[in-house]
Amino acid sequence: MATEEVVNLHAEAHHDAHDEHHPETFLTKYIFSQDHKMIAKQFLYTGMFWAIVGAFLSILFRLQLGWPDTAFPFLETILGKWAEGGKISNDFYYALVTMHGTILVFFVLTAGLSGTFSNLLIPYQVGARDMASGFMNMLSYWFFFLSGVVMFCSFFVHTGPASGGWTAYPPINGMRDVAINKGSGLGLDLWIISMALFIVSVLLGGLNYVATILNLRTKGMTMWRMPLTIWAFLFTAILGILSFPALLAAVVLMSFDRLAGTSFYLSDIVVNGQLLSHHGGSPILFQHLFWFLGHPEVYIIIVPAMGLVSEVLSVHARKPIFGYRAMVFSLMAITVLAFLVWAHHMFVTGMNPFAGSIFVLFTLIIAVPSAVKVFNWITTIWRGNIRLNPAMLFAIGFVSMFISGGLTGIFLGNSAIDIPLHDTYFVVAHFHIVMGVAAFFGMFAGVYHWFPKMFGRHMNDTMGYIHFYGTLIGAYAIFFPMHFMTGIPRRYARFDSFEFANNFGGLNKFISIVAMIVFVLQLMFVLNVVYSSLRGRRMKSLNPYGATTLEWTTPIEHFHGNWAGEIPEVHRWPYDYATNGQEYITQTTPLSEDELAH
Amino acid sequence: MTTILGIIIIVCILLVIFYVARTVELTKELKGEADDTESTSNVQGYLMLGFLIAFFIGITWSSIYFIPKMLPAPSSVHGVEVEKLFNMTLFFTGIVFVVTHIVLFWFAFKYREKKGAKAYHFSHSNMLELLWTAIPAVVMLVLVVKGLVTWLSIFPDTKTLTKDTMVIEVTAQQFKWNIRYPGVDKDFGSRKIDTAHIGIATPDVWWKNELGIDWTDKASHDDFFADTLYLVKNKPVLMKLGALDVLHSFYLPHFRVKMDCVPGVPTTFYFIPNESTVEKRKLLSKLPEWQKINPETGLPKYATFNFELACAELCGRSHYNMQRYVMVVEQAEYDAWVLSHTPIYAAVEKAQNDALAKLNGSETSNAILSDSLKVAVDSQLVVELASNEVVLEK
Repeated sequence: MATEEVVNLHAEAHHDAHDEHHPETFLTKYIFSQDHKMIAKQFLYTGMFWAIVGAFLSILFRLQLGWPDTAFPFLETILGKWAEGGKISNDFYYALVTMHGTILVFFVLTAGLSGTFSNLLIPYQVGARDMASGFMNMLSYWFFFLSGVVMFCSFFVHTGPASGGWTAYPPINGMRDVAINKGSGLGLDLWIISMALFIVSVLLGGLNYVATILNLRTKGMTMWRMPLTIWAFLFTAILGILSFPALLAAVVLMSFDRLAGTSFYLSDIVVNGQLLSHHGGSPILFQHLFWFLGHPEVYIIIVPAMGLVSEVLSVHARKPIFGYRAMVFSLMAITVLAFLVWAHHMFVTGMNPFAGSIFVLFTLIIAVPSAVKVFNWITTIWRGNIRLNPAMLFAIGFVSMFISGGLTGIFLGNSAIDIPLHDTYFVVAHFHIVMGVAAFFGMFAGVYHWFPKMFGRHMNDTMGYIHFYGTLIGAYAIFFPMHFMTGIPRRYARFDSFEFANNFGGLNKFISIVAMIVFVLQLMFVLNVVYSSLRGRRMKSLNPYGATTLEWTTPIEHFHGNWAGEIPEVHRWPYDYATNGQEYITQTTPLSEDELAH
Repeated sequence: MTTILGIIIIVCILLVIFYVARTVELTKELKGEADDTESTSNVQGYLMLGFLIAFFIGITWSSIYFIPKMLPAPSSVHGVEVEKLFNMTLFFTGIVFVVTHIVLFWFAFKYREKKGAKAYHFSHSNMLELLWTAIPAVVMLVLVVKGLVTWLSIFPDTKTLTKDTMVIEVTAQQFKWNIRYPGVDKDFGSRKIDTAHIGIATPDVWWKNELGIDWTDKASHDDFFADTLYLVKNKPVLMKLGALDVLHSFYLPHFRVKMDCVPGVPTTFYFIPNESTVEKRKLLSKLPEWQKINPETGLPKYATFNFELACAELCGRSHYNMQRYVMVVEQAEYDAWVLSHTPIYAAVEKAQNDALAKLNGSETSNAILSDSLKVAVDSQLVVELASNEVVLEK
C-alpha cells in the first residue's frame, strides 16, 4: 500500500547524478525547450489560443445565422471591408466557416489535444526521461507554431483567408487565378503552406511518440501494462503517420493545378463562357485523397480523448477500467477500420453504388468497437466510489456526448439514409457532438486531471463545476436541436431563399445566444488555467488522487529527466484499484507472494 | 459604444464568478477541507441526477415543438423506403440512447463517493464483452442488410430503364441551374466540350452556349431550357447531372434526392415522384403547422407550398441562393407545358436573324447558324430575347 509521500522539494533534485543535461538558459528552457513537459505546456497554450480564435469565428458567423438582417456596427470596426455596414459579406461568411473548421480540427483538436497530452504523458507513464528525440519534439512544436503563424497571416491578406470549406475541395479551391471564389487566391496559398508545415509537425511528433512508446518503456513496463492513455496515443500516432501524408500529397497536387496549370483535379471547366484548358482530371480524386486523411483524422481527434477518459474514469471511480484488453482491442479495431471507411463522406458524389456498399459495411462495423468502449466505460463506474470532481464530470460528459454523437453516425453511415442527410444540419449536429464537443470534454477532463502534474498546483474546482454544467447544458442546447434541422443544407449564409429551409429562424437565434454564453464560459476556463498555474492551491502530496501510474511518482517540481534517481521498475498493470482489499496499488509496488503477475 | 459596454459587462460577470469561486476555494482551504472530496461529490451526484431528468425533459419538449416544423413526409417512391430505414435506425439507436444515458448518470449519482465505501473490484468479464460485442454486431448487420437493399434499389442500371422514363439534364454553375429538356423527340442534342462549341466571341451576350450544344445534331433543335423543373406524377425520371465551374449538388429535399454535380464527371439520379404539387398541398392542409397563416402572403402555408431545388455543396458566395421551384403535375398538364416552350435552337436562330438584319440593314434569312453564333451581337439583343419564352435567368 502506497502511503502518500510527503514531497521533498529539495533543490538537490536538480543536481542529481542522473541529471546529465547541460545548464539551461531561458531560451532553451522556455522557448526552444526539448523537455516533453515544457513542450506539452507550449502545445496547451497554443491550442488554447487557437481554440479562442476558432470559437470567436463561430460567434461571428452565428451572429449572421441568428440575425441575418440585422447590422452590427462593431463588426465593421473589427472586420473592415468584410462587414461593410455591419453585415458580414458572403465571401467572409464562407471564410469564417472554413477557418473555424480548419483551426478547430487541426490546430486545436489535433495539435492542442494530442500535442499536449502525448507529450506530457508518454514519457511520464511509460517511465522515460524524455521523448526518444527531444530535438525532433521541439521541431514538432515549432513547425506547428510556424504553421499557425502562416494561417494567422492569411486573415490579413487582400483575398481574405481560404473560403472554400475546410475540406478544400477543388475545383472551387483548385483554381488560383480564376475569379470564382475570393479566398481561393492568396488566402488558400497560405492555407496550403500552413497545412504542409502542420503535417511536418504531426509526422515529427507522431514518429517520436511511437518510438518512445515502443523503445523507452521502463523495466517491467510490458505493452500490456501500459495505461490506456498510452495505447490511445500509440494508435493516434500511427493513424497520423499513415494518413497525413495523403493530405500532403493531395494539397501538393492541388498546388500544381493552381500554379503550374496541371489537371489532376480539373476537367472540362467553363467559367464565364470560356472553356479552360484543364482536361482529364477528376475533382473526386481529391476527395478520395482528402478523406483518406480526413476520416482517420476524426479518430486522431477522438482516440486520445478516449484514452484520457478511460484513465480518468478508472482513477476517480476507484475501480479498474473494465475490460482492459477489450478496450485495447477495440482501439486497435477502430484504428484499422478508420482507414477503410473514408468514402462514406462521398456517397452522393456519383460513386459506384457497389463501392458505396463496402463502405457502408465497414462504417457500421465501427459502431461495434465503439459500443464495446461505451459499455465498458459505464461498467467501469458501476459500483465504484466515484469522486465527482471536474475531471470526472467531464469524463462522464464525454461518454454522454460520445453516445449521442456516435449514434447519429449510424444514420449517416448507412448510404441510403445519407442521401437526404448529407451536407445538412444533421451532419453538423453529428460531428460537432461526437468529435467536437466530445473531444473537448476529453481534453478538459485531461486538463483538470493532470493540471497538478503540469503546474504543481490545483485548479479552482468551483469554476470547474460552473464550466462543466454550463458547457454540458450549452453544448446540448446548441447541437441537439440541430437534429431537427434535418434536410436544411449546411453552409448557407442565410435561409430565406428557400421555403423549406426557412422554418427555424427562432431556433437559430436561440443557438446563437447559447453559443455566446458557452464561449464566455470557455474564457472562464482559460482564466482558471492561467490563474491557477500561477496562484492556484499548491499541490501538497505527490499523488493527490491515489492513482497507480508512474507520472505520480515524479517530483512536483519539474526538471529535465523526470526522476531524480533511478526510473522506478513496474511490477503490475496500471489498474489495480480496489484490489486485495486495498484502495489502490501503484504500478511500482512489487507483487505480493500469492499474487499472479498481470 | 454598445460593444464596449457589452465587453465590460461580460468581463464584470467573469470577474464576479472568478472572485466568488476563489473565495469558495480559499474558505475550504482555510477550513482544511480542500481535499475533502466527499461532500462535493455528494452535491455533484444530485446534480448529475438533475441533469439526467432535465435532459430528457428537454429532449421531449424540443421533439414536440420542432418535429412539426421539419420537412414534410417524402414525395418519392424511394424516399418512403429511406424514411422507413431512418425510422428503423431511430428505433434501435433510440433504445440505446435512452438506456445508456439513464444508466450512465444514474451510476454517477448512485455510486458517488461516500466515506468508508469501497469500490467493487470488477476488472473484466469475457461473457459481458461477448454479449455487448455480439448484440451491436447483430443489430448493425440488420441495418446494413436493410440499408444496402434500399441503397442498391435506388440506383438501378440505367441501361435497363423502361421507355417511359423521362430524362432531364441539369447543369449547375455559379449560381444557377441550367435545366434542359429533350423536347418532343425525347432525345437530347449532343454536347461537344471544346472551344469550337463552347462560348462565343462577345462576352456581353446573354447566352454563350456554355453547354457546348452541337447544332449540327438535329436532335438538339427541339431541346429547350426551363426555369422550373417540371416532373410528371408517378413517372420515373432520370436526372443527368453535371456542372460547369465548381462542385454543386442537386438537392430535392422533398423527394430525398441528392447527387453531386461534378465538372467533367457526369452523374445521374433516378427517382419516381409519387405526389403532385396539388396533392401535396392538400395533404399538408390537414396539418396544424401548415394551416398557420404566412404573414407575407396572408394565406395558409400549405396553399403556397412548393417543392424546391437547392444546392447542397459549397460552391461560392451565393451557394445559399441557388433556388428553383419543382412542379409535379399530371401528364396532360406536362405535355401542354412542353409545347409552351420555344426550343433554344429556334430562339437562337431568331436572334441571329434579327442581328444579321440589323447589321445588313436588310432581311437575311439564310444565314448559317453556326457561323452566326460567332457574329458580334449588340446588347440590345438581350432585351429582344428576354421577351421570348426562353428565359434563363430570373
